[in-house]
Amino acid sequence: MQKNIAALLDKTLAAASLTGDKLADVFSKETHRFTITGLSRSGKSMLFTSLITMLKSRSEEGYACLPLLRYLPPSQVLDMRVEPLDGYKAFPHQENVAALAQGQWPSATEEAYGFKLVVRLKQTATFKKHLLPHTDVVFEFIDYPGEWITDIPMLSKTYAQWSDSTWAQLSSGPQQYYAETWRQVINQFDFEQPPTAANIHALVHAYRNYLIYAKREGISLLQPGSFLLDSSDFNWQEFGFTPLPSSITSDVSHPWYQAFNKHFCAFQNNWLTPLKQSIFKETDKQIILVDLFEGLNHSRQHLYQLKETLSHLADTFVYGQSNWFSRKVLKSEQIGKVAFVATKADLIPVSQRENLLNLLHQVSEGARAKFKDKPIEFEHFLVSAMQITDEGSSAQAIRYTDSNGRYVESSFEPIPATLKDMEEGAHFPVPSAQVPNDYKARILAGKGVDRLLQFLLGKGE
Amino acid sequence: MDKSASSADDEKAPTTTSTRYRSKVTTQTLDIQPPETKLPVQVEQDAWQVDVEKEGISFGVTTLVFGVLSVLGFFVFDAYTTLSANMAEHPIGTGVLGVLLAGFVVSFSYLSLREWRGYKQVNTAMNDAQNIRTLLQEKRDPLKRSEMRVKQVNGVLNEHGKRFSRGSYAAQCFMRYQQTVQDDMSAAELLGLYEDTVLAPVQEKAHKVLNKESITAGSLAFISPNNLIQTFAVVWISFRTIRRMARVYGLRPSTAGNWKLLKVLAQNIAAQGVFDLATDEVANQIGGSLSAKFMENSAEAIAAGALNARLGRALIKLLK
Repeated sequence: MQKNIAALLDKTLAAASLTGDKLADVFSKETHRFTITGLSRSGKSMLFTSLITMLKSRSEEGYACLPLLRYLPPSQVLDMRVEPLDGYKAFPHQENVAALAQGQWPSATEEAYGFKLVVRLKQTATFKKHLLPHTDVVFEFIDYPGEWITDIPMLSKTYAQWSDSTWAQLSSGPQQYYAETWRQVINQFDFEQPPTAANIHALVHAYRNYLIYAKREGISLLQPGSFLLDSSDFNWQEFGFTPLPSSITSDVSHPWYQAFNKHFCAFQNNWLTPLKQSIFKETDKQIILVDLFEGLNHSRQHLYQLKETLSHLADTFVYGQSNWFSRKVLKSEQIGKVAFVATKADLIPVSQRENLLNLLHQVSEGARAKFKDKPIEFEHFLVSAMQITDEGSSAQAIRYTDSNGRYVESSFEPIPATLKDMEEGAHFPVPSAQVPNDYKARILAGKGVDRLLQFLLGKGE
Repeated sequence: MDKSASSADDEKAPTTTSTRYRSKVTTQTLDIQPPETKLPVQVEQDAWQVDVEKEGISFGVTTLVFGVLSVLGFFVFDAYTTLSANMAEHPIGTGVLGVLLAGFVVSFSYLSLREWRGYKQVNTAMNDAQNIRTLLQEKRDPLKRSEMRVKQVNGVLNEHGKRFSRGSYAAQCFMRYQQTVQDDMSAAELLGLYEDTVLAPVQEKAHKVLNKESITAGSLAFISPNNLIQTFAVVWISFRTIRRMARVYGLRPSTAGNWKLLKVLAQNIAAQGVFDLATDEVANQIGGSLSAKFMENSAEAIAAGALNARLGRALIKLLK
């Protein structure tokens, strides 16, 4: 309560010191902060690139794209600009478009980028338009490596808890097939040796090799994901740690436990806590990107494992609806709308998209259960940031230019509508398409982005 | 655990090995070039003009020309017979005059047929509009919304859109709607899109046109030197309003609608007449000064504008 009063006092003092322009901003500016939660390879960077391209083309060149986005009617958009977001590196939109022009997909995100999209709308209200001729709708987006987000749930665990749960994951699901080498390393390792820098490095290096291998094989729940990126500010070479056998984690006096526990705490305090504060702070809308193809490409266990990962991620956010007072005065936002989005939906035929949507519903079940009793609106969407495929000769087929430059047709057997329908011993290889020459037209032909934005921005239609 | 994509080497195949996974996707190379995706249509600034751009000679003008030619022809023919005194001996002249007359009759008949077809089409369009209203109501009802089918909605919307006359604002909006439709849209989304791209803009444009026409009606009433000219001006602007609004909606008022409009028009003229008398009387009472005349004309202008707006609203109600 005291905190709230102090915050309110701060706001009042800040408001008192505002100039006329800034005061006008309070009434003529509408800010939406989007947190986009996506695992590695879920298509966040491409989605951002498409989103900016679509909105710019719509407002500046008058292209009739995003037809279902009623919230920003083209006739009312005066202009649109991209601005940097304080404290973040600018999102490399131009570089990504240049890469597409050269036939390359945008490179994977290895550090946090932030940007603001400011859309200036004509004021239509009869009286307000004389006082404030326009309204600025500000969208704040943050793009960050998917590897970081999987680490955030580690904040609520002790080292021993994390180690034990990681071993449980390594012994079940698809991870068990990829962790054999790592298990052998642990079994042969002599824990009677002191935890010197060289010994720790050897163990951390072996565990990191497992993480790299499992990531390549489509595993999404990999902790600590930050060890996979050199761009992470945490020095994993010096403060690295790995899960240890329970015989060691149950003995708090064991030198290896003590060493790794210390490193784990450093990881939490020096890396995860500031990361959560800077990136996953106040937000009112959350988009959870899911790449179902990673699971379809591998196995049913991969899909279950994806479901588990999403469920863990849902713990990371503050759910609940913020009212005008908390939003405008206390500036405290809670997530009020959540969109579960399956990306790259154009990689399967239109006839199979209903099944894909059903799969998405199932995969998000665990995450949705986290906000069951809260006033959260949620919806599921299929999105293609770029329409890279064409209609095939039948309803079950799509056509695209593959990575070798050949124009091919892929025919699909029915996509399973539920996780249990996913046949054991069978998989759906992901079409590996190259960037089409007409990439801009195909970005503007992308589907589902308008539906998604309308849901997040609209007032429940 | 071994999986490999057996059918397509270009697909991202899992690389682990112990079980052989069957690919549920088969891929074949095509011997054709990929189609090029076109950029979406650009929504240019609202350049639609309420007046039809003249494209050559219209049938109206042609009919008039034939008519004038026929009359002239008969004059010439009369003169010719007077001069020659023997019609039977001059078959060419008679033939030419016959052709001109025939042209007039044919053109006139065609115009009549077109009008009749237009009136018939309007009634069907009104039924379509009723169907759209029903669908929009269903869209707002969550239970019925889930039962709506894309095919059914598409059918109703396309039938409605097909009836808009070429070059009308509604036809332009409908074309924009067709260019924006995507194959993954649900029935409710299609309806919403139709509302946004056709129904709402047409309605907005109709109101804009009506406002403009009402201001013109007021201005004409203000500058009219006497009541007779004022009445003619009001009648002319009323007909122009009907014509322009019909251009916006892409429909003409049906026979029944025309009758209703004529009634409104007659009432407007009568009201304008009564208002003229009243303002004359007030002007007489307060004297014949310039300011009194100004007051009288201003009041008449406001009345003319308001009456024209009344006509327009009746028209919007009919065509909506």
